[in-house]
Amino acid sequence: MHILKQIDRFLEKIEGHLIVLILSLMILLSFGQMLLRNLFDMGIVWGDTLLRQWVLWLGFLGASIAVRHDKHISIEVFSGLSSIFWKRVIKAFTRFSAGIISGFLAWAAWSFMLFEKDSKSILFLNIPVWIFQSILPYSFMVIAIRFIISGTTFFENDSGQALK
Amino acid sequence: MIALGIILLALLGVPLFAVIGLSALASFYNAEIDSAAIFVELYRVASNPTLIAIPLFTFSGFILAHGRTPERLTRVSQSLLRGIPGGIPVSILMACAFFTALTGASGVTIIALGGLLYPLLLKEKYGENFSLGMITSSGSLGLLFPPSLPLILYGLVAQVSVDKLFIAGIVPGMIMILIVSAFAITRSTRSSESFSWPEARSALLDAIWELPLPFLILVGIYGGFFTVTEAASVTVVYVILVETFIYKDLDVFKDLPGLMKDSMVLVGSILIILGTAMGFTNYLVDEQVPMTILATMKEYIHDPLTFLMVLNVFLLIVGCMMDIFSAIIVVVPLIIPIAQSFDVNMVHLGIIFLTNLEIGYSTPPVGINLFIAATRFNKPVLKLYQAVLPFLGLRLIGLILITYIPAISLFLVDWVSH
Repeated sequence: MHILKQIDRFLEKIEGHLIVLILSLMILLSFGQMLLRNLFDMGIVWGDTLLRQWVLWLGFLGASIAVRHDKHISIEVFSGLSSIFWKRVIKAFTRFSAGIISGFLAWAAWSFMLFEKDSKSILFLNIPVWIFQSILPYSFMVIAIRFIISGTTFFENDSGQALK
Repeated sequence: MIALGIILLALLGVPLFAVIGLSALASFYNAEIDSAAIFVELYRVASNPTLIAIPLFTFSGFILAHGRTPERLTRVSQSLLRGIPGGIPVSILMACAFFTALTGASGVTIIALGGLLYPLLLKEKYGENFSLGMITSSGSLGLLFPPSLPLILYGLVAQVSVDKLFIAGIVPGMIMILIVSAFAITRSTRSSESFSWPEARSALLDAIWELPLPFLILVGIYGGFFTVTEAASVTVVYVILVETFIYKDLDVFKDLPGLMKDSMVLVGSILIILGTAMGFTNYLVDEQVPMTILATMKEYIHDPLTFLMVLNVFLLIVGCMMDIFSAIIVVVPLIIPIAQSFDVNMVHLGIIFLTNLEIGYSTPPVGINLFIAATRFNKPVLKLYQAVLPFLGLRLIGLILITYIPAISLFLVDWVSH
C-alpha cells in the first residue's frame, strides 16, 4: 500500500506539471491564433482542433487530481451527521463505490479508445485520434485507484483526522 | 429498484459523475449497447469551439480572485455610493455581481468578498440577519452577466449561441440587482461617512485596469472584433499582465502554477460530469423519455405559461439539491425537447434556467451557498435559513418577471442582431 501511495504522489506531481505546461501552451496558442486572424486574416488550420483536445486533457488531468483533494461535485445530504463513526462509514462506502464505478468507466473508456484506434481516424498532421483519447482511460483508471486508496484511509486512521 | 439504489448513492455523497456513470453503464447494459458509447457524445460536445473558453475564463477568474481585485472592487463601489441611503449594501451587491460574473459563481464570491463585506455592513449598523442574508444571496447574483461560466456551459449543452446568451442575461441580471437594492434602501441606516471625491477618484484610479474588463469582453464580441473563445484568450492574457506586472499582486512563477492546477481541478470536476452525462442524457432522449413526460404533461398543461410555472418549481428544487454545473449538464438536455414543444425560446429558457438555479443556490434546506456562508461566518445553518428568507422572496418576484415576460431577456438580443 505504501509503495502505491508513493507512486500516486509521483503521478500527481507529473499531472500537475502537465496541467501547467498544457494550459500555458493553450494560452499562447489561442492568443496567437487570435492575433493571426485579426491582424493577418490567417491562422493555423489545426490550431483550434488541438486546443479543444487540450481542454479535454486539462479537464481529465484536473479531475484525477480532484479525487485526493475531495473536489468532486457531490450532493451529500448526510454531511451534517453528528456521529463520527457513521460519518466515517459513509465516507468509506462512498469512496469505494466511486472507485468501483470509475473502474468500470475506465474499461468503457478503454474500449472507446480501441474503437477509434481500429477505425484509424486521424485528427490532423497524421496524428491518430486515439492518442488524444488515451487521456480518458488513463484518468478514469487513476481516479478509480485514488478513490479506493482514499476509502481505505477511513479505516486506518483512528483519530478521525481523515474527516477534517 | 436499481434507480432507487442509484438515488441513495447520490444522497449519501457518491460523486455525481460516478452516480451518472453508473446510471449510464446500467442502462446501456440493459439495452445491450456497448458501454464505450458513453463517451461518443463527449467528443461531439468537444467539437464545439466555445469549449476552449471554459478553462481560459476559469483560470482568469481564479487569478482575479487570488489577487487583490476583491479589495479594489469593494473600495470603488463603496466610495462611489457612500453617503446615499443604502449606499453600502447596494455597493456590495454591485461588487459581488461583478466578481461573480468574472469568477463563474462557485461560492468563490462569498469566500473572497464575504470576509471583507460582512464586517462592513455590521459597522454601518445593519442587522446581523440582514447582513448575513444579503451576502449569502449576493454570492450568486452576477451569474447572468458575461462571461459567467454557467452561461457558457448552457450554450454548449443546449447548442445555443453563447454570444446571444451573454447579451440576454444583462437586463434580467440588472433587474435582480435592482429588486434587492430597493429592499436594501428601505432598510438603510444613516451612513456615517459622506461622499468624498478625492477618495472616489483614488479608488477608481486604483482599479483602472480591472474595471474595463467586462466592457472589453462585450465590446470585443459585439463590435465583431473577436469570438467568445478569442475574448477568453484576450481576457486571460490581459488578466495575467495586469495582476502580475502592473499590480504585482501575484508572482508569475510562485503563484500562477498553483492557480492553474486549482482552476483545472474545478474545470475537471465539471468536465467529467459532462463526460459521463452527455452519453446518458442522449440515450434518454433517444428512448423518448422526455417525450413520455411531455405526453403526460400535455394532459394537464396546455399553455406555455403553466409549463413555465411548473418548470420554475421543478428547477428551484433541482437548484437547491444540485450545483449549477451538474444541473445544467443533466437537466437541460431532457428539458429542451419539452420546452420546444411549448414554443419556448432557447435563449429565454437559458436565462430562466440560470435565474432559477441562481436562487436555488441559497434556498433552504440544502442550497450550497448557505453552507459556504455558515462555514465562512461561523454561524449555524439554521440562522442562515432565517436570514435569507426575505431575499429569497424578493428574488422570486424577479424570477416571475423574467419567466413570464420573455422580452426582458430577448429584446436586447433582437436589437443587437438587427
